[in-house]
Amino acid sequence: MADLRPILLVEDNPRDLELTLAALAKCQLANDIVVARDGAEALDFLYLRGDYADRPPGDPAVVLLDLKLPKIDGLEVLEQVKNDPHQRQIPVVMLTSSREERDLVRSYELGVNAFVVKPVDFNAFFEAIQDLGMFWAILNEPPPGGRNGHG
Amino acid sequence: MNDLQPSASALDLDACAAEPIRIPGAIQPHGGLLVVDPRTLERLHASANLAEVAGIDLAPGASLCDIAEASLLVAELRRWNTASEPTFLRALPVGRGPMQVQGHLTSQGLILEFEAPPRSEGETLDGLYPRLRSFLDAIGAAADVPAIGRAAVREMRALTGFNRILLYQFDQAGDGVVIAEDGDGVLPSYLGLRFPASDIPAQARELYRLNRIRLIVSADYRPCPVEPAVSPIDGRPLDLSLAALRSVSPVHLEYMRNMGTGSSMSVSIMVEGRLWGLISGHSREPKHVNAQVRTACDVLGQVASLQIEAREQSERTTERFALKQVETELLARLVVAPNFQRGLVDNGLTWTALARASGAAVHTADGVLMFGLTPPKEAIAELAHRLGGEELAVIESLAQDWPEAEAFAESASGALAISISRLHPDYIFWFRPEVVRTVDWGGEPAKAVDSRADRLHPRKSFESWNEQVRLCSLPWRPAEIDAARSFRNAIQDIVLRRAEERAELTSQLQASNRELESFSYSISHDLRAPFRHIVGYAELLSERATELDKTSRHYLQSIADAAKSAGTLVDDLLNFSQLGRASLTFGKVDLNKLVAEVRRTIEPDLAGRRITWKIGPLPQAWGDSAMLRQVIQNLLDNAVKYTGPREEAVIEVSGEDLGTHVRCVVRDNGVGFDMTYVGKLFGVFQRLHRTEEFEGTGIGLALVKRIIDRHGGSIDAQGAVGQGACLAFTLPKINPGRRPDGRSKET
Repeated sequence: MADLRPILLVEDNPRDLELTLAALAKCQLANDIVVARDGAEALDFLYLRGDYADRPPGDPAVVLLDLKLPKIDGLEVLEQVKNDPHQRQIPVVMLTSSREERDLVRSYELGVNAFVVKPVDFNAFFEAIQDLGMFWAILNEPPPGGRNGHG
Repeated sequence: MNDLQPSASALDLDACAAEPIRIPGAIQPHGGLLVVDPRTLERLHASANLAEVAGIDLAPGASLCDIAEASLLVAELRRWNTASEPTFLRALPVGRGPMQVQGHLTSQGLILEFEAPPRSEGETLDGLYPRLRSFLDAIGAAADVPAIGRAAVREMRALTGFNRILLYQFDQAGDGVVIAEDGDGVLPSYLGLRFPASDIPAQARELYRLNRIRLIVSADYRPCPVEPAVSPIDGRPLDLSLAALRSVSPVHLEYMRNMGTGSSMSVSIMVEGRLWGLISGHSREPKHVNAQVRTACDVLGQVASLQIEAREQSERTTERFALKQVETELLARLVVAPNFQRGLVDNGLTWTALARASGAAVHTADGVLMFGLTPPKEAIAELAHRLGGEELAVIESLAQDWPEAEAFAESASGALAISISRLHPDYIFWFRPEVVRTVDWGGEPAKAVDSRADRLHPRKSFESWNEQVRLCSLPWRPAEIDAARSFRNAIQDIVLRRAEERAELTSQLQASNRELESFSYSISHDLRAPFRHIVGYAELLSERATELDKTSRHYLQSIADAAKSAGTLVDDLLNFSQLGRASLTFGKVDLNKLVAEVRRTIEPDLAGRRITWKIGPLPQAWGDSAMLRQVIQNLLDNAVKYTGPREEAVIEVSGEDLGTHVRCVVRDNGVGFDMTYVGKLFGVFQRLHRTEEFEGTGIGLALVKRIIDRHGGSIDAQGAVGQGACLAFTLPKINPGRRPDGRSKET
């Protein structure tokens, strides 16, 4: 099992944030959860800039990325990550309220690893988060030769 | 008969080139010519007869200043201010006696011409003034251009004493028509006759423009050489363009002799800078017209020119004004017409009146619309293509370049066309019928030039010769052509404005569509979130508050349920609105497979239900499989839901191939519905049952109908309260390439 890298949760809505954290807590994952409240902050974390300049190096196990974000929106963050040869292998899961086909299509074009429409039903949401957490935070091995800083 | 005009052919041009009319190297012998250096007055050229005519003998290189006989002339020349008086004209004693001396400056020196003086006081300019005065009075009262012409020829004959004076007017082809004549009967009358353009070669016309007066004293004169032939100043032949004594082309002298005239004089009529016509005097015998009289004739010609110009302009303005009113009226009606083509035809009388035509047509990509007497539709389309984008075409004889046009010559021989598009052969036409005319030629024009061996000879016969002109309309007048041109500008504005309006409307619609899209987009993000939050918090609370009493738990559950159903409603609405926009991907759809898949998804919810499924073999359909799956899903969900109260539900799915369509029927033995409300069944938010009886948002069947509609199919429902319901849809069987909703895949 890989070392327990953190999960980066990017979410601007405080209620969604609280509920998502509650759902993740229910999964009883051992991973740290780092919260970024907009796209710029998320990129700062990923690129060790700004407030995160001094964080321990290493990529997150997974990025849970909301689509609509202040400053830099989710699709732009996704685009930057997936266009960067050093970041591209970080799994990104898009979490969104939107059922818009164009968002889905665009996300897959940009190379998203999974796309989850947040269901209204909390139990369904909980299950989805649990599945995601299990798969990406625990089971998913980073690709050989990928950056895994802690090493 | 078709051989209408031996127009300015290569022959004429050859004739021009062969005749060095500006540099003949000789003069007519009734006067003498001397060219001197303008400063030193030293001789540069002289005619061989100078001493004989003028009584002065100047050796080459000698100066006029050196001979006593010329002292007065020298003094006058010194006083001559060339700026205020371009042409020097004096009667003064030179040599043996009084002479008429004319002088003008050229780049090759000062050209002096010596002629015999007026014989009497009456022929001096002062004596001529009263005559000119009466001419001015006559011309002021003249009603029209021919009346001006009649006054001019009468006056000119009185001034000069020629046997006959003619006024020619040149038409567009260059033919000259005699529109006024005054004579004493010695020479035949040519009034009304037409002389072909080839009678006056282009080079001669140009000279008429430069030098308004030309006199030939005798058709039988022997040219007197001017020596040297080449100018010592520039090494080129001496240019005599503006010299009164210039020797003329021998071809022209032959023409005069053939015409039976021994002398001639012509005065050019210039209108708006072009050679409008000639006043031409002839006598049977040789005749000299002295310089004073010639100057008076020049003044007369210029007055006539100005009067003709003013009269033509005012006639054109009057005509133009009348046509402008027609144009304004027509444009006012076009602006309110649904489209300009329709507007033209609906106002056909005004349309044709604009160019005084008897028929009109408009050719655009939408087809050909016609009014009045026109060629057939196909011919109009062909004509539009023949014009090849020409902005304005003025045609008097369509058949001239297009023999097939003879077929409809009676309705349309002449055409006036304006292009109304830069990109396409879109034209507005006016047509005029054939008018058979008789033209009286002064001699047979086909024989105007007779070429023998290497010399050109003018025709010999000037006997009036009749010709019938066929396949021609009345000519289009300048005012009519102006009107068409002006209408072209105006209608282009209309056509362009329509296009702009359409473009604007389209962009407004697109903007409005974009707004709607972004509205539904933000709804999908922002409206769902609060419901999700309510459900989430309610669930979290119920997990933590384990000690809550039963009623409190019920309340909490109700909060969650209400929020959940509100969220589902939003989802359904969005689904419905997306359906209008989403693209359809057509292909073969196996309905059997779809039904089986949908059954599998709803099976888990059917615990405790007894349902008998009767699924018949279903035909293959054409459509978007994901959308048709939604149809089947909704129909089966409904059947399951409304059979809820039945102990044993029977749900039957059957289908048949109807040839052009396939039909699929879902029948149940549920609670059914009242056929009175069947119209509401497929509306959004239309429910026929109370909420507590059956859950649902009221969107399911609306969605089904929308999908079937977009496939080009139809759906209907049968039912009765308590008797079950039957929903049937049909889908067209279509070719894979064709889109039933007319949308492209990208929409």
